[in-house]
Amino acid sequence: MSTTTISKKHAIPSAGTGGVNFLRVLNSESIKFRTLMSTKLLLVLTFVAIVGIGLLSALVRWNVVNQLVTVGRQGHTMTAKQAIQSFPPGQGFDLYNLPNAGLNIGILIMGSLAVLFIASEYATGMIRSTMNAAPGRLSTFGAKAVVLIVVSYVLSIVAGVVTFLLASPMFANFGVDLGWSTDGVLYSVLTGGLYVSGVALIGLSLGTLLKNPAGGITVLVAIMFVLPFAGQFLTFAPGDFWKYVPQYLPSEAGGRFLSIGHADGILDPWAGGLVFLGYVILFMVPALIALKRRDV
Amino acid sequence: MIEATGLRKVYGAKTAVDGISFTVQPGKVTGFLGPNGAGKSTTMRMIMGLDRPTSGDVTVNGRHYSQHKAPLHQVGALLDAKAVHTSRSAYNHLRAMAATHGIPNSRVEEVIEMTGLTAVAKKKAGGFSLGMGQRLGIANALLGDPQTLILDEPVNGLDPEGVQWVRNLARYLASQGKTIFISSHLMSEMAQTADHLIVIGRGKIIADTSVDALIESQSRKRTLVRTSETTRLSELLARDGVRVEQNERETLEVYGVEPLRIGQLALDNRVLVYELTPLTSSLEEAYFQLTKDEVEYHSHITGGPGAPGGPLDASPAGVGATSAATMEGIQS
Repeated sequence: MSTTTISKKHAIPSAGTGGVNFLRVLNSESIKFRTLMSTKLLLVLTFVAIVGIGLLSALVRWNVVNQLVTVGRQGHTMTAKQAIQSFPPGQGFDLYNLPNAGLNIGILIMGSLAVLFIASEYATGMIRSTMNAAPGRLSTFGAKAVVLIVVSYVLSIVAGVVTFLLASPMFANFGVDLGWSTDGVLYSVLTGGLYVSGVALIGLSLGTLLKNPAGGITVLVAIMFVLPFAGQFLTFAPGDFWKYVPQYLPSEAGGRFLSIGHADGILDPWAGGLVFLGYVILFMVPALIALKRRDV
Repeated sequence: MIEATGLRKVYGAKTAVDGISFTVQPGKVTGFLGPNGAGKSTTMRMIMGLDRPTSGDVTVNGRHYSQHKAPLHQVGALLDAKAVHTSRSAYNHLRAMAATHGIPNSRVEEVIEMTGLTAVAKKKAGGFSLGMGQRLGIANALLGDPQTLILDEPVNGLDPEGVQWVRNLARYLASQGKTIFISSHLMSEMAQTADHLIVIGRGKIIADTSVDALIESQSRKRTLVRTSETTRLSELLARDGVRVEQNERETLEVYGVEPLRIGQLALDNRVLVYELTPLTSSLEEAYFQLTKDEVEYHSHITGGPGAPGGPLDASPAGVGATSAATMEGIQS
């Protein structure tokens, strides 16, 4: 390329003079989010998985209720309503939270996507370009967080609504009252989105802290899926105290937030939500401090 | 303009940059030269605010990089050709970077055209060759049409046409009054591009001078002598305290003496000389000489309270005085 071309191009100030602000960084992060084929595929996969697992889970519930209605427990049958109420709340047999039946797979994939959203920048070296363009650093985290919250929330809500629309007709033959006006249905749709967004924020924080996609996803899976499993064993420990501990785990507290109703000995939904929010902040604060102070 | 004062960066036990101070002036191409691991990239990363200095300070156009309202318009940097997400296309990468400053997409297309990336702009950056990656990095640096351009090893992996292009670009932008700071470990490259040179070795600045002055100060009189009696002639020359090196059979390199004197000495002692060629140092050799001396220089200043330009380089017989003098000249 010749010097004349260069001079011609530089004669016109075409780069503008605008500075960095949060909305622009947000726009940049949303461009980044939209321009990766892997992200788009993962979002489609997440949607299919939430709805698919949700329908399977609904089928299991239908099967259990059907057994109780037609065969019965200990020799005597019960009505569908009695069958459903015979399970303690939060055990996965409530029908009002059908929209969230497949949500666990959603938090797994959206959480991993959130880890990748920043950790892949560290892995590829992209983070240096990002931090040069927005040297305040925290705005980048904030913009990524906003993108993830919006995407997670919208995706979870749409997937939840679709799950419910497909799953609720299954239970029509039992004559139970199940529709949008049923207690807890709308609540679980709206809180399900918040829960997934929260897990995405934990994922983003882990990705920032560990800078490594594989490490971040492993830790996220450990926190959200291995810890509750370990918590189950904890309840076998002698003494009543240990029974009350597992409900404070992020996944348990967050899951409780999605259900309704009071039960003795377990956190109320709002308290579960607050505990979960506490975890989100607990991960975000060190991530923000590390991002601001650490060499890139 | 880039101003560094007492800039120092320590990684664990290793001091990468050891309290350097320098100024990069606008309107010039300043070369930042040093062997691998001398601290060039670390210095540039500190300028860009990616690494926090252990002590000292560096500003660009009067402020820390991160304090600029529109940093991409102030400084464009190519620090690492691979600072790109491998799965995103070049065009989308630049679009995302441009968005942070509200730079229009027309400018993105412009830098793509300028850097000759048009044909591959929609392809994934991960598949780029080293040269294409460099072009993308340069496109990224030019995005904001910055006042100051920092390029870390920009010609690495570029084809000759690309090297020529970077050189012209740097010279053109400097002529527009912009500050251009280019690092390289290749003196030959800098000789053709830079006006001013900052040479760094082991984290310390060992020269801060114009290109011409560097060649002049570092070039020593050397004469290539071919003779069948190398041992005898070496002995005769050594008697006068002259430094002589033998690199090939029947060939001597004699330092600091006029060919006339060597010839006269040979004649007086009846030694047959069949070639006598004066050698002039290239910039490359000057640079090599400088970075080689740097080790001795280093040990000397830790030995005493000597400021730069203090007593230096006493080891190779006969050249100590010259070396000290040149160092003093360079440091000022």
